Amino acid sequence: MNGFLRGMWLIVTLDLKQRVRGIAWYVLLGVFVVLVTAVTALVVIATNAWDSGGGGVFSTIVFFVLLLGTLVSPALSGNAINGEREAGTLATTQVTLVTTAQLVIGKWVAAWLTALAFLAASLPFLAFGIVLGEVSPATVITTVLVLAVELGIIAAIGVGLSGLVTRPLFSVVVTYLVVAALSVGTLIAFGLGGAAVQTTVKQTIIGVDYQQLDENGLAPGGGEVPCLPPNTWEQQTPRFDLVWGFLAANPYVVVADAAPGSFDEDGNPTDLFGWIAVGVRQAQQAPETEVVIDECSEYSSKGYAPHDSPTPREIYDGSVPSWFVGLTIHLLLGAGALAWAWRRTEVPAKRLAAGSRIA
Amino acid sequence: MSGITVEGVARSFGDVHAVRHASFEVAQGSVAGLIGPNGAGKTTLLLMLATLLVPDSGSIRVAGYDPVTEPHQVRRRMGWMPDALGSWPSLDVRTALTTSGRMYGMEFDEASRRADELIGLVGLTPLADQPTRVLSRGQKQRLSLARALVHDPEVLLLDEPASGLDPAARTELRELVRRLAHEGKTVIVSSHVLAELEEMADTAVYLAAGETAAPDEVARAGRTARDWRVRSLDPDRLAAVLGAAGYGEVSVVDRFGAVVPFASEADAAQMLAHLVGSGVPISSFAPAVGDLEHVFHDLNRSDGDA
Repeated sequence: MNGFLRGMWLIVTLDLKQRVRGIAWYVLLGVFVVLVTAVTALVVIATNAWDSGGGGVFSTIVFFVLLLGTLVSPALSGNAINGEREAGTLATTQVTLVTTAQLVIGKWVAAWLTALAFLAASLPFLAFGIVLGEVSPATVITTVLVLAVELGIIAAIGVGLSGLVTRPLFSVVVTYLVVAALSVGTLIAFGLGGAAVQTTVKQTIIGVDYQQLDENGLAPGGGEVPCLPPNTWEQQTPRFDLVWGFLAANPYVVVADAAPGSFDEDGNPTDLFGWIAVGVRQAQQAPETEVVIDECSEYSSKGYAPHDSPTPREIYDGSVPSWFVGLTIHLLLGAGALAWAWRRTEVPAKRLAAGSRIA
Repeated sequence: MSGITVEGVARSFGDVHAVRHASFEVAQGSVAGLIGPNGAGKTTLLLMLATLLVPDSGSIRVAGYDPVTEPHQVRRRMGWMPDALGSWPSLDVRTALTTSGRMYGMEFDEASRRADELIGLVGLTPLADQPTRVLSRGQKQRLSLARALVHDPEVLLLDEPASGLDPAARTELRELVRRLAHEGKTVIVSSHVLAELEEMADTAVYLAAGETAAPDEVARAGRTARDWRVRSLDPDRLAAVLGAAGYGEVSVVDRFGAVVPFASEADAAQMLAHLVGSGVPISSFAPAVGDLEHVFHDLNRSDGDA
């Protein structure tokens, strides 16, 4: 094992050494810091964070790091193996005592560390959000950890695809497509899927017969409130409860759902994570197929009794978290990509992909 | 036994049969030239020896180990210089070689000492701290050779090592290869520059259309008629004597002298005596092409006829 780590670390340092000698990497990091600064300033103004706490700032920065991480990481990892093959340095590494497993894992760790540099660069801004208050330590730890894991998964998918696809440009594009499928595709699948599977809901309204009320709005003679005959109709409702699983595979949802919910006294979320988690969990609930709204029985001379709809907090507490399902799917995806790349890059090679050369 | 043994090896890529049937042996401490036209399968054969490709059939032994089942043992003992020149572009020469050494399990100090040694050996000392991307083709070639030698291998596989080298570097390469063989290392050199191999190789492996030529075929090809270049201070006189001796029809006379086909070395010797005896001032009398090249062309010719 010690030998394995030594060889792997050699590949990691070799990869990082080559990256840090390029100027592009520093430019990218600089642009990132400028963008995060701008976003932080705008969110502080928009959410009135000096008074209302830093939950909004913190969660926005975490999402922003995830967004930029997913935009940059495929370009940094998606040509890790086939790029070396094109440069003619893969085979010369493979004839040494470094094994293919060490090579693939080392490439992945290097790509992950590179993506984590963006997270590290955003730490001052995250700290600023924490200083503003109202962010629980549990939220900080879970979201930063899950964010780091998600960046590692994207790096794994990129490195994996670079071992499977012959041409570097193509594997980078495919990595972007996978990231887009997870980030945007899941939303589209959720929306379209829910709309395609619809259920008929029977709605009944029992209204008040206002014409029979006296001038004070009371039932004549203090008796029963006169009711209109029930009015019934049917309508189609999308079944998001059947397709909410798509959302679970969305990396933003995974990060948001993993954060322990934090709510104010009215039961409203105090950060972006909470709103997203509540939205996803609301979608888990099946629509009722028979809805009876009995306005008549709730009527009193003072108007309607306050309608009792659940607060976001109640919805959140009354549902199951989904983030570990999504995270497990992502982990399997990343590990699978690496394992497949390992098998395809192993030498001595039996089969070569059409049009590819070993050296 | 730490030479190279190849028996009935074949390898195809889809419909392309890169190597059909290769059998040869290279004894320890000797240098073998691997000769064949473009596309004959030289590089594929070397990739199989270098533990990078699995042969479809046949067996290989490099330094006593099977590259398919014991690649780790082979890699310890084998240095490979590929025909494609790759280097980590942003690393300097010294770091690149040190890294290669570390990939063979050397500690940092040992690897960097070895790197310095090799930089001196291949003559890259003035460029040791330059990033490898600024190297010229010939300099990359030297770096590639140094990398193949980094772990002091018993067996060396050199794929076109001389291409891109200037004449002085070629001479150095030849001397280096000879010295390594003298130290007991086994070397295979593939090259198109046959004159180069002639002075370097102890034996030759001819590969055409994926098949190695059998020894008797090689011997026969070596015996066929070949051209000799004859130079004289008096070309007119030379042409006249050649004509009188019956070679007028077959000789090609140009401003350098004449190219004359002789069936055997004995015929050539006889004719030389005759020319000198007739008072023709001969300044040069030698085969127009080297032995390897002659066999190479002859094998290819008979291949084309078949």
